[in-house]
Amino acid sequence: MKLLTLLSLFVTYLVTDCINIENTAGQFFSSGHTNNWAVLVCTSRFWFNYRHVANSLSVYRSVKRLGIPDSHIVLMLADDMACNHRNPKPATVFSHKNMELNVYGDDVEVDYRGYEVTVENFLRVLTGRLPPSTPRSKRLLSDDRSNILIYLTGHGGNGFLKFQDSEEISNVELADAFEQMWQKRRYNELLFIIDTCQGASMYERFYSPNIMALASSQVGEDSLSHQPDLAIGVHLMDRYTFYLLEFLEDIHPASKANMNDLFKVCPKSQCVSTPGHRTDLFQRDPGSVLITDFFGSVRKVEITTEVVNLTDPIEQVDESPANGEAREEMYSYVDQLPVSEIIHQKPKQKDWHPPDGFILGLWTLILLVFFKTYGVKHLKHIF
Amino acid sequence: MVAPLSLLLIVAVTIRAALYRSSLAELIAERVEVVSPITAWKRVIEGLALLDLGVSPYSGDVFHETPLIIYLFHFLVDYAEITFMLADVITAVALYMAVKDFNKQVFRKQKFSVEAERYPADCLELIRSPTEMFYIPLKVAMFYLLNPFTILSCVAKSTCGLNNAVLSLFILTTIKGNVLLSAIFLCLATYQSIYPLTLCAPAMLYLMQHQYVPVNPRRAAFWWFLVQYLFMYLGSLFVIVCLSFFLLGSWDFLPSVYGFILSVPDLTPNIGLFWYFFAEMFEHFRLFFLCVFQINVFFYTVPLCIKLKDQPVFLMFMQLAVISIFKSYPTVGDTALYLAFLPVWSHLHRFLRNIFLVSCVLLACSALFPVLWHLWIYAGSANSNFYYAITLLFNVAQILLVSDYFYAFLRREHHLTAGLYLKKKDGSEATLVLK
Repeated sequence: MKLLTLLSLFVTYLVTDCINIENTAGQFFSSGHTNNWAVLVCTSRFWFNYRHVANSLSVYRSVKRLGIPDSHIVLMLADDMACNHRNPKPATVFSHKNMELNVYGDDVEVDYRGYEVTVENFLRVLTGRLPPSTPRSKRLLSDDRSNILIYLTGHGGNGFLKFQDSEEISNVELADAFEQMWQKRRYNELLFIIDTCQGASMYERFYSPNIMALASSQVGEDSLSHQPDLAIGVHLMDRYTFYLLEFLEDIHPASKANMNDLFKVCPKSQCVSTPGHRTDLFQRDPGSVLITDFFGSVRKVEITTEVVNLTDPIEQVDESPANGEAREEMYSYVDQLPVSEIIHQKPKQKDWHPPDGFILGLWTLILLVFFKTYGVKHLKHIF
Repeated sequence: MVAPLSLLLIVAVTIRAALYRSSLAELIAERVEVVSPITAWKRVIEGLALLDLGVSPYSGDVFHETPLIIYLFHFLVDYAEITFMLADVITAVALYMAVKDFNKQVFRKQKFSVEAERYPADCLELIRSPTEMFYIPLKVAMFYLLNPFTILSCVAKSTCGLNNAVLSLFILTTIKGNVLLSAIFLCLATYQSIYPLTLCAPAMLYLMQHQYVPVNPRRAAFWWFLVQYLFMYLGSLFVIVCLSFFLLGSWDFLPSVYGFILSVPDLTPNIGLFWYFFAEMFEHFRLFFLCVFQINVFFYTVPLCIKLKDQPVFLMFMQLAVISIFKSYPTVGDTALYLAFLPVWSHLHRFLRNIFLVSCVLLACSALFPVLWHLWIYAGSANSNFYYAITLLFNVAQILLVSDYFYAFLRREHHLTAGLYLKKKDGSEATLVLK
């Protein structure tokens, strides 16, 4: 009896193995990305900007809970609220009033702290142009299969975001930084979330492909803060990120919630400002993009002993376009090196030479002076 | 005299070659006292590299040399060391020949004056003899070649060496009396840096005396010679500037070279007087003080010409000194050129009053320049005032040197006419005062 069950189990095992694993291998590459990164930046200092630090830390907490490890998160906090002298509860940063949720925790890893959070450092992290002595924890080591979540919060205006109360980053700079990232193949897809006043102006100038952007308010609107805590004495969170945090608390690593749900977070009734989003640069339909594609680090794992032949192109299991429209043109990477030139060894470009007229004129003058000085009688010796 | 001169040349070339091969060459090439933004070798290479990349070297603030230098170094950039050593050799040989000729003329004039009994009886000891004047040309060449300033300037490959070569050729051709060549070399020197313009006056005075044209504004021959010389000078300047246009096909070099020299935008510290003053000046007054400083260089020509119209070579020496002190970007190479002339006036040493002070100050300042630069820039325990003080002191010492020689020269001339032991009306010893 026992032998029969064992035998039947063995046969089932064999049968399932016989199903060609290559047919299902396409599922593993359907999302296009193989790793996730997050860059979370809080740009304000001073105690009364407590809520911006709490914003960043709550997003940090969520992405960490959903699976992105600290080595893949670059957390930049412009000021230290947890250890601020005015914090009545040191080593804590709360997001809900009555101190319900401590987003600081005891395993926070802040990569850029205090005065290290500058526009220059932020752009260098994004583009990867850091000095060789920068440690790995401070680098964004993404590749062309990385999905990156970038979250910015602080004080902003129409077209700029203020850093440290002393400098600004403009939307043009940010767009150019993302273009650099695209050209250097530093991301597969990028989700950009910004929670500042007039935040929509920051994503207006993006022109690189595969970027989806969300903002907490439109141009001309202010993003408002949520609720103060009377014991701590400052506002604890901004409205948009508060409701974003509530939304993300319901997401777990296996969740199938997609971006359309994210766009519905914090409607005008709750946020007072109108959140905006931009998807025209994004190739996939937002409805097919999972929240965990950006906020989590989800891997599809299936153990098999079969060998998958990767030399043939894997057919992707992707859905047809939603409305059957013609597909948009494929974006491609620009040529980084003039490979064709190098391979074919084009001849070196010629160096500069002085024009012949100049040389002629100069030497004629020199000869004239020579003959004037030493007499024309030398001429007959030459000719 | 060829043998000692050749020996001197070989020694000088050996020293320079040895320094080129040592590690001091890069160190010296960076020193601000030796190279200036106009003369730095690094900028010449940068300009040539820009040209190879297809960009005009005058775009941007890198290259401030004339197009003829571009042409010269386009073909000689690999032999740069030999070029600069050759420039030094040419300078020394030209000075040698010039001073030899000058001494001959001085001696001849003196002989005529003695025979005409123009000198009072008691100043026989002031009269120079051929034996004492025999080694002066060699000493001049030696003073130039073995001067540490010149050696530093050559090892740094500063184009000041080329400028000195052209100036010394100008002096040679002037003393030999060749009007055309003198105008041409002066034009080349002016073309490279504007200041030798002031040497026009002594050259004209010398050539007029050489050709026995009376230096009298009321005579027509004077004006005719003036017009001739100026025509040759300005004509060749015009020709050279137009030729430079054809090298690169643009007039970019005019603001880059001459605009740069005249408007002094680069305030890198050097041994001159411009940088500190203009660094601390308000924009409002900049043009005014720029004009004042630049006029200062040209200003001494006319009074000196009037005073020294009978001794144009001394006038040339003084003009060279004034140019080296007051130009906008001086380097030690410029100083070395007029210091080379000091043996020519060695007979004045009994009338020099401050020579000990001046030599001590010059030596001390030369030693203190690198020290205070290090303290200011690297150690951070001094500031620019320290370096400026030494610059100021160096220039004051130079001015004192030149004015001392001027005093001694005039005093000797006075003694030659009025007698050596001067007595006041009541018979007691008189004192001479330079007013």
